[in-house]
Amino acid sequence: MAPYLSMGEAHRRIADYLSRVADSISSSDGAALASLLAVSSAPPSTPLSDALSAFPDFPRLAADRYPHLSDLLPTLLRAIHSHSLIRFADAYSSFEKAANAFLQEFRNWETPWAMEAMHTVALEIRLLAEKADRELATSGKNPDKLQAAGSFLMKVFGALAVKGPKRIGALYVTCQLFKIYFRLGTVHLCRSVIRSIETARNFDFEDFPVKDKVTYMYYTGRLEVFNENFLVADQKLTYALMHCNPQYGANLRRILKFLVPVKLSIGVLPRITLLERYNLLEYADVVTSLKRGDLRLLRQALERHEDQFLKSGVYLVLEKLELQVYQRLVKKIHIIQRLKEPAKAHQIKLEVVVKALKWLEIDMDVDEVECIMACLIYKNLIKGYFAHKSKVLVLSKQDPFPKLNGKPV
Amino acid sequence: MASHRGRSSARGHGRSRGWRGRGEGSGRGAGPSPSPPSSSTSSFSAAGATAADSGGEAPPIVGTCPDMCPARERAQRERLRDLAVFERVGGDPVRTSPSLAVKKFCRTISSTSVQASDIRPLPVLRETMDYILHLLDSSGNKFEIIHDFIFDRTRSVRQDLSIQNIVNDQAIQIYEDVIKFHILSHQRLARSCQDSDASSLCYLNMEQLMKCLLSLFDMYNMIHKNNSHSNKETEYYSFYVLLHLGFKIPKMVDSLSLWYSNLSAPIIQSKEMVFARTILRCYHLGNFKRFFCTIAAEATDLQLCLLEPFLNEARVRALMYFNHSGYKLQLHPLRHLSEILMVEELELETLCKLCGLEISKNEDIKAFSPKQASFCLPASIPQYNGIYISRENQI
Repeated sequence: MAPYLSMGEAHRRIADYLSRVADSISSSDGAALASLLAVSSAPPSTPLSDALSAFPDFPRLAADRYPHLSDLLPTLLRAIHSHSLIRFADAYSSFEKAANAFLQEFRNWETPWAMEAMHTVALEIRLLAEKADRELATSGKNPDKLQAAGSFLMKVFGALAVKGPKRIGALYVTCQLFKIYFRLGTVHLCRSVIRSIETARNFDFEDFPVKDKVTYMYYTGRLEVFNENFLVADQKLTYALMHCNPQYGANLRRILKFLVPVKLSIGVLPRITLLERYNLLEYADVVTSLKRGDLRLLRQALERHEDQFLKSGVYLVLEKLELQVYQRLVKKIHIIQRLKEPAKAHQIKLEVVVKALKWLEIDMDVDEVECIMACLIYKNLIKGYFAHKSKVLVLSKQDPFPKLNGKPV
Repeated sequence: MASHRGRSSARGHGRSRGWRGRGEGSGRGAGPSPSPPSSSTSSFSAAGATAADSGGEAPPIVGTCPDMCPARERAQRERLRDLAVFERVGGDPVRTSPSLAVKKFCRTISSTSVQASDIRPLPVLRETMDYILHLLDSSGNKFEIIHDFIFDRTRSVRQDLSIQNIVNDQAIQIYEDVIKFHILSHQRLARSCQDSDASSLCYLNMEQLMKCLLSLFDMYNMIHKNNSHSNKETEYYSFYVLLHLGFKIPKMVDSLSLWYSNLSAPIIQSKEMVFARTILRCYHLGNFKRFFCTIAAEATDLQLCLLEPFLNEARVRALMYFNHSGYKLQLHPLRHLSEILMVEELELETLCKLCGLEISKNEDIKAFSPKQASFCLPASIPQYNGIYISRENQI
């Protein structure tokens, strides 16, 4: 609890805060205004929040002093007050009202001087909504604040998706929306903002700030991973990787978490040292299995990390690598045969493949192997043919195991 | 289980504000999405409902209609001679009765103009379902006619459930029964008709199946919050996975990967889900032998019904791979393929011919020689019978 605070001192602190807000608006100081709106990062007890607790009539004070900001200031103070009392659902509701009032003002200001403040509002409303939803969920109520924040941010996006200098701020808001939609699992809602960004004539993608572009490419890249559009996913995630500030290791790791499976799908293997450096060792066995043709290792890795891979959406991508592992296995058999008997090395008995798999503790009969060989040949992972009656796989003499060359299977 | 006439037993518990089944609430279909688990109001807003949208919504209506069809509608349809075959007393086109008439699906309903006497409460809806479904066993009418009637009348049942916002075990049971009907229809329609009328019936049936399934998943999510489960849910979740086997599914908005990322581990690791995931994997890897073996060994009856119309498509794909990759100088006997693809030799022969593959016959052994350039994937593939295991291979 706060130490004793006199009414006079409380009144002074609140008035001081209010005047700083009003001054920043009247002098178009976006940075100052932004810092005054950062509600959610405040600790439970600040000089201001203590003052609000001690002086409960603060809404009237704010409305009386600054009638032209009477939609914004009282609710803003309420939000700060509720947040300091760890009442996050209330804090969110008040902040949402304040944010709406702020948006109204923002629309009327012609220049984008308040963009930094608008971005702060966008970030804060999401953070408060997340806290509010956690609070609601633990008390058995319906957590619907994050969704409401999403609706508000769509309004903000609308205010920014206009001709003129304000449009530069739209990508930041888009990224906040992505974070909300990914958190809620309503990823399909990303589509309409993406369409606005990518097809509207108001936006030139290159004009946006780099950090916003990186975040945007990260999320849109992840969407492409969900839809298994590997080539586009590669482009987007690689862009994000290349332009990400190298100091932000956590962000690099996030990007790589999705880029690695994509690269694997197009036949590009990362070094184990990369996986170690960014703590992505869940992929280590997958990479090794591709290098060795070790089907058992791949399956074990998928099983061991099944939950994690399913949650992040890369499981099916990794599962499909099985075809490449088969290719590698057959290639190894071919290499061994070439050493033993080079003249006949291009003929591989299906029984030998069955034995190799059995040695890996994988139970497959010759019919299954035949099916898989037929598939590998069809998908151009193996050049050659199989003779059904003789149960032999006949490899082409030239380049029997074509590389993927950056194209998915 | 207590149930009061005219009152849904879900009142106040297990009911989530603003839930609307997809496409039922105001009679307009909406683009469904399989998630999200956390919020129920997204499907609600997608259904474009009216008065209940904003805060301060009126409590949902509680139906009071005691019959399968409201009296008002019965009288109206008698006047307009709008009675289905099953609803006519003694075949009379202008006479029906409370025990025969079933409320029709109404596309243009709006929740503001609806009366409680037109809406059937939960116990009546259950009785209606039981009555409608028993018609499936009736003979003497072409299946398409039976299907059409059940299709429409179950849609109306779902509409009544969603207008009353009922989400509980009995409502879930009703949805599960409706889906079961759509799956059985899917199999029967595919079997009995090959012409274009039927294929649009198939498509519409599949579309409705999807809508129902997605609504059902929303309902599962809601009861999960109260730590309750349907004992059939893992099977019903598996249907969604199986539907990804290359059907031309209407409105599959989100990817399977995304769907999995929102499912809980116990569901994903359940027997039925593992089955579905396994055969999907086998199919994508071209392991047709294991694909068919696993289906034969592990599919539930409903899973098999759902898969059956797809099996010939899988077999044709196998033919494509074998034709492409086989040795052109060594004949591939049909007998072998019919074993691993679990299809009768004669039917396989028909499939081969449909693909433009020439069959050669040598001393009673039918075979085809690979690398026939004439192979092409047929535009429409007939479906006959499902899994065939020859006598010698049966254990």
